[in-house]
Amino acid sequence: MFNKIENKHLIDKDSAMNNKNSSGTRKQALMILFFVATFLTSAIAFAAVHSFNLTATTLPNGQLAYALGANEAVIPGPALFVKEGDTLKVSLKNDTSAAVSFKVPGLSVANPAKVNPGQTKNFTVQASKAGTYVYHGDMNGKELLGLFGALVVDKATGPVDRYVEDNGKIVSVSRNNIDKQFVLFMVGSTFWGTEVAADGTQKPLWANPHPGAVENDIVRFHILSIGPGHTFHLHAHRWLKKDTQEVIDTKLLAEGTDTHSFTIKAGTGVGAGAWQYHCHLIAHMEAGMHGNFKVEALGGTGTSVVGASPYGRILLGPKDEPGLVTFEVSDEPASWFRSARGDAIVELSKPSATGSPLQGADIKTKSLDVIVPGSSVNFIMSDTNGVHTISSLLWPSGAEHMPYDQSSAYRGGGFVTLHTPGLYVFTCKVHPYMFGAVIVDDPATEGLDLGNPARNFTIDLVTGIKDLPTSSDLAVRLLKTFFIATAPDNWQDYSSGLWNVRFPTLPVRISGAPFGNVQDGGLAAPLSILNVNNQALTVGAAPATPGVGEVWVNTQFEKTAGKYKPGTSTVVDTTTWKVKRKVALPQINNNNPHNMWSSRDQSVIYQTQWFDNKFSMIDRETGSLIKNITVGYSPSHVVTLPTNDDITIAVNGENGVMVIPAGTTNVTKMMPTQAQGHISANPHGHWISADGKKIVTPNINTDDIGIYGANGGIQARTPTGNNAPGAHPIAIGMMPDSSKIYAANLLHHSMTVLNGNNGALLKTINLIADYNPIDGTFADNDANGEIAVGVLPIQSPVSPDGKAVVVAATGGQIVIIDTATDEIVKMLPCDPGCHGANFGAKAGGGYYAYVTTKFGNRLTVVDIDPDNNGNISDAAIAGYVSLVDDVNTAKDDNVSGLPGFGGQGVLAVPNVYNGWVQNVPEIWALTDKQRSPIGK
Amino acid sequence: MLFQSNQLPGALEHEEGSSAAQPVMNQPSLKQKLLRLGMGAMVSFLMVQSCFAAQHVISLTAEETRDDGFGNKLLAYKMVSHHIDGHNVTDRYSPDATIPGPTIELTEGDKVKISIFNAIPNNNVAVAGISKQVSIHVHGVHYNILSDGTLKVINQVDDEGAGAGLVQTYSVYEYEWDVAPGTAGTWAYHDHNFETHNGSEHRGLFGAIIVNPVGGPTFAREYVLYLGDDAFWGMEIVGHTKKQTKHGPNPTLSAKAGTRVRFHLIALGTDIHTFRLNGYQWFDPGTNNLISQVAIGPLEKHVFSVKALQDAQYVDTNLTNRLLGMRGKFDVQ
Repeated sequence: MFNKIENKHLIDKDSAMNNKNSSGTRKQALMILFFVATFLTSAIAFAAVHSFNLTATTLPNGQLAYALGANEAVIPGPALFVKEGDTLKVSLKNDTSAAVSFKVPGLSVANPAKVNPGQTKNFTVQASKAGTYVYHGDMNGKELLGLFGALVVDKATGPVDRYVEDNGKIVSVSRNNIDKQFVLFMVGSTFWGTEVAADGTQKPLWANPHPGAVENDIVRFHILSIGPGHTFHLHAHRWLKKDTQEVIDTKLLAEGTDTHSFTIKAGTGVGAGAWQYHCHLIAHMEAGMHGNFKVEALGGTGTSVVGASPYGRILLGPKDEPGLVTFEVSDEPASWFRSARGDAIVELSKPSATGSPLQGADIKTKSLDVIVPGSSVNFIMSDTNGVHTISSLLWPSGAEHMPYDQSSAYRGGGFVTLHTPGLYVFTCKVHPYMFGAVIVDDPATEGLDLGNPARNFTIDLVTGIKDLPTSSDLAVRLLKTFFIATAPDNWQDYSSGLWNVRFPTLPVRISGAPFGNVQDGGLAAPLSILNVNNQALTVGAAPATPGVGEVWVNTQFEKTAGKYKPGTSTVVDTTTWKVKRKVALPQINNNNPHNMWSSRDQSVIYQTQWFDNKFSMIDRETGSLIKNITVGYSPSHVVTLPTNDDITIAVNGENGVMVIPAGTTNVTKMMPTQAQGHISANPHGHWISADGKKIVTPNINTDDIGIYGANGGIQARTPTGNNAPGAHPIAIGMMPDSSKIYAANLLHHSMTVLNGNNGALLKTINLIADYNPIDGTFADNDANGEIAVGVLPIQSPVSPDGKAVVVAATGGQIVIIDTATDEIVKMLPCDPGCHGANFGAKAGGGYYAYVTTKFGNRLTVVDIDPDNNGNISDAAIAGYVSLVDDVNTAKDDNVSGLPGFGGQGVLAVPNVYNGWVQNVPEIWALTDKQRSPIGK
Repeated sequence: MLFQSNQLPGALEHEEGSSAAQPVMNQPSLKQKLLRLGMGAMVSFLMVQSCFAAQHVISLTAEETRDDGFGNKLLAYKMVSHHIDGHNVTDRYSPDATIPGPTIELTEGDKVKISIFNAIPNNNVAVAGISKQVSIHVHGVHYNILSDGTLKVINQVDDEGAGAGLVQTYSVYEYEWDVAPGTAGTWAYHDHNFETHNGSEHRGLFGAIIVNPVGGPTFAREYVLYLGDDAFWGMEIVGHTKKQTKHGPNPTLSAKAGTRVRFHLIALGTDIHTFRLNGYQWFDPGTNNLISQVAIGPLEKHVFSVKALQDAQYVDTNLTNRLLGMRGKFDVQ
């Protein structure tokens, strides 16, 4: 109980001072003696040694926290109060499963070693300079899960702070003037609070609390931050900026660790009220980073309202108080929104987990958690180098606080309290296959509620669909997509020969009578009735006719031994259909390589790192790194200008297209994708017209297609998806003569066709017209002669000869559109998570479309016109190529997991698109027609 | 005291000028209370005060502005009128809605009544779960909870803005500010109520107040520069006329060589910035430290003065902001 020790220090020294005013002569004489003694030995007398026994432990929701002595582990960690010159002896026991340390930026810590799980180590900290300091566990981001606390070092003598009176007077404050203190840690987009009473007693206020005080209380705030930066603002109060005479009401807390302590007189000049405090970064405000400072009128209690607690009402939570589950936002494949206790849930739900309350639940995903109504969800971007949004994809019909969203991508986290029972799925708008799900379960219903019990268990979707029955085929498909995307065990590994998909055995409550694939169990059936068991998987034969050159595939999820971020490039030799090379780039910790383009002479591969702020240049022939360049956050696609070979990079997490002039490695400018002050467009998969005059971007945040000049300037902004909310245009294809633009709308399941000159809307092609979302039946509803569906379309290039659009649809389809009619002419099968598509030359003439999938590990090769007669209605799959390496594969690192998975960007070398192919060196045997795809 | 007028339950259905639109004061204003008291001593005390402490009566609207050419609009405040102790000073402001909104100059000791009218189309009809109100939430000065400019979901009392809120609709909302001693400085005001309880400050609804100390120095030019996520939004104020011009993104600021000018920086949005005025140094506010750059985060303020000596550029040096061209000229003649 260090508080007691701390108070004792105070009492020892201060009682001497206080007694002076109230005692007799004899006591005064004693006091004088005491002062003389302390003066003579001042340095020694005032420099205390404090011993703290801390234990780092794991909380019921999977977050980490420090406990002091035998006390409950808390976030933030116990606030440590010492004086300048004191020494802290910290004994740290590690009861977590990862190595921790004890770091205090700004102060020197002896023995800064790591403490391995189960070990105890001692640290000595010299409190050499007054100030407020963050202490933390130094775990490469994991400390943001709760291993952080405040160390307050006050001056050994004299006032500790000042406050501003209602009449502007500045008043000094000593420790015994202070009525209460609040520690508020700004982490991600959440405040974590502790209240410290005048007697030193500490009380955890948990996440986003409402600290309380009575008017005229002297309240000292300690604001601290760890991770991305913030600004702290408290309504209607002013204070002095530390070490200055400047009166402020908002203070920057810079990235890394930062602190700001100040004192106020509660309600001075403004009176009682629920005064909001919040981070003033717009995205963090939108993400829920706020609470109220409750100043009560004289006579009130000034009691604080405690926020959401990691011990509270969540699945298996031990305490009857508002609870909290936390998701780590991660660059790790499948675990993009990983419950802090995701690993534990997977282990506890195994059939072999004897004694576990979840034994046999068979939960394969780490991205699902369960809470009780009124509890909250916390997100923390602690394991990612990119920017993200945390956005609702679906929620129980009519649910409070939905949809949850932010107006731009950012670094931080999120916080939302959920009251309405049902399933909530969150995604990132920048990386729309990142999924996290929370079931808010009403304990009174049978099975876990998937929809709102008050509205027949229906859900609403972000695209404007309301009251969708959870028994519908669409709802079931969305559920299956979630459980496949977030669990690699459920992916199609062709190297294993078998496919198994396992859903939890937990019973769920859905709408009305069971439908579609849900057959068993009446209204509450276990999800596991959807399981796929031991389905045979064979790669299939390679195409009979070779291609020309190489195909580079961004196997974005493949893990290698020499780095901790995922992703490689897999190079396929199209003359042999073998994987000739893996490019992992361990020396730069290559992070989620997403899309590529090549230099004019095809010697350099340009590579975006989508979950990072890096862009790399790779020597194509050797696979070696040329340069790793810092660009904007979450760069998605790269295309060169056919006119001058300048590099253009769509900065998906921000608001423009960056330019690196040909032959250089420096970004010289960023062309904005929106007018100044307008909502950030967040462009994803752009394209450039063959004449190099127009840059066309799909703007995922504003749901439109932007057309820009080669040197910037906005020429058109055309809304997509028939103005449905959240259509999410994601990739562009263009006719070789630049006459038309094609854009895939991911969440609207449609293709938008625009006039290539002025951006006028020509047509919206519905890719799910033939699908009945309720009963799951297929019929030729659009009367185009084909039953064809493309669910969640992504890349959609136009063939270099301008005949066909090939659409890779995440739902597992390849849709072929005839550009002469803009009608669907064919649907071909694809693996789950079908994503990338791009064209390369077929040997002897014609084109292959190379199609990649995220949750499978083979490449699909489509021949858009096998008989080469110009009619593409016979488009067919020419063959498949495994993307798993073999003994003959050259590589710069060893594959350690998820072999060949995560297929996204794909690039054929040579680049055979009109405008670029004309500059391809003669080293490749292209036909005359291939070198002049639409004539000279 | 309650400040809101035209308290209307639910949707606003009246025509302008109808009886329903007449202000309904729920409680007497401060002035009314004082008249009722009729205490000579009190009145004379106030009159002494008024030699220094001015009464400001200000009326703003919030409007749509700056269509990007494709139908996307920003929002902005417009000054309708500003009277100081009955004296009309409205002509110092732009007649248009501007970004940033009008810069309101005040002196410590002043009192302000400021009202907001919502001129954004279709905002007086209640929409379940969405606030159509605009408000003025001010930083720095004193006000009671009814002048916080937030929604009831935050302040627990009322929807304190103009237009259809979540629980209450007002056609006009009036706030009272006490520009008390100790509030000198430059502070932001911004919307806190439009569409969500966070408001729409990032869509253009922001401005600044400058609270001068009594007897403080004067400046030949004042520049208000808001650092947004993709541009500086600024204006220039002529010191002696207080005339405000050059509103908009990345303005070219002008000064006569040898004169003393003052910069008022406020950041807004999601980015954290690094500001430089190339070639110049200034005192870090409240200190004796000379600095040449400053890190500034949303809604922080940073005020400094320099002697205009040579042409310069003001810039944000952070990577994306710099590449987007976040800079402007400081033109010294």
